[in-house]
Amino acid sequence: MLEVMTARVGGEAPDFEANAFVDGAGFKTVRLSEYKGRWIVLCFYPGDFTFV
Amino acid sequence: MDVEVFAVSTDSRFIHKIWQEAELAKMLDGGVPFPMLSDAGGKIGTVYGVYDEEAGVDIRGRFIIDPDFVIRAMEVLTPEVGRNPDELIRQVKAYQHVRKTGEVAPSGWQPGQPTLKPGPDLVGKVWTKWKP
Repeated sequence: MLEVMTARVGGEAPDFEANAFVDGAGFKTVRLSEYKGRWIVLCFYPGDFTFV
Repeated sequence: MDVEVFAVSTDSRFIHKIWQEAELAKMLDGGVPFPMLSDAGGKIGTVYGVYDEEAGVDIRGRFIIDPDFVIRAMEVLTPEVGRNPDELIRQVKAYQHVRKTGEVAPSGWQPGQPTLKPGPDLVGKVWTKWKP
């Protein structure tokens, strides 16, 4: 059976890799688990150039 | 506060770059200082429970992850209402304080206020220590 990790409080953060734009550094790849040992805030939002 | 912040949307890194240059840099001196991640196809958002398949976007969700890589807090909103950054900062400070001291932060706690040491001596005595 395929086990899909889902995010819940008290559980391990699901790891992932993503293309990123970093101001001053340009394009890079970010793997979340590379930041283990630090406090992390992950903010999802619907889209660039929206209003709220 | 010693926190790594990542913004995630389904936009490509190219769109992130243009948004930063065309708009954000004009709203905020220097633009946003944190990495803007591209969640192509909503794969990350799906795992975090914030991907809206019909709209094809990630809705507003935010997660506080501690140094052990454990999710401590999450907040998810439908799109019409924006977030309150003050509450995010309060929660991060509370979790950092609690991790350092082993104490707990009661309802409405603000940085600088006392936290509580849980234990038999505190049972029925919270009112003596916490006067919001």
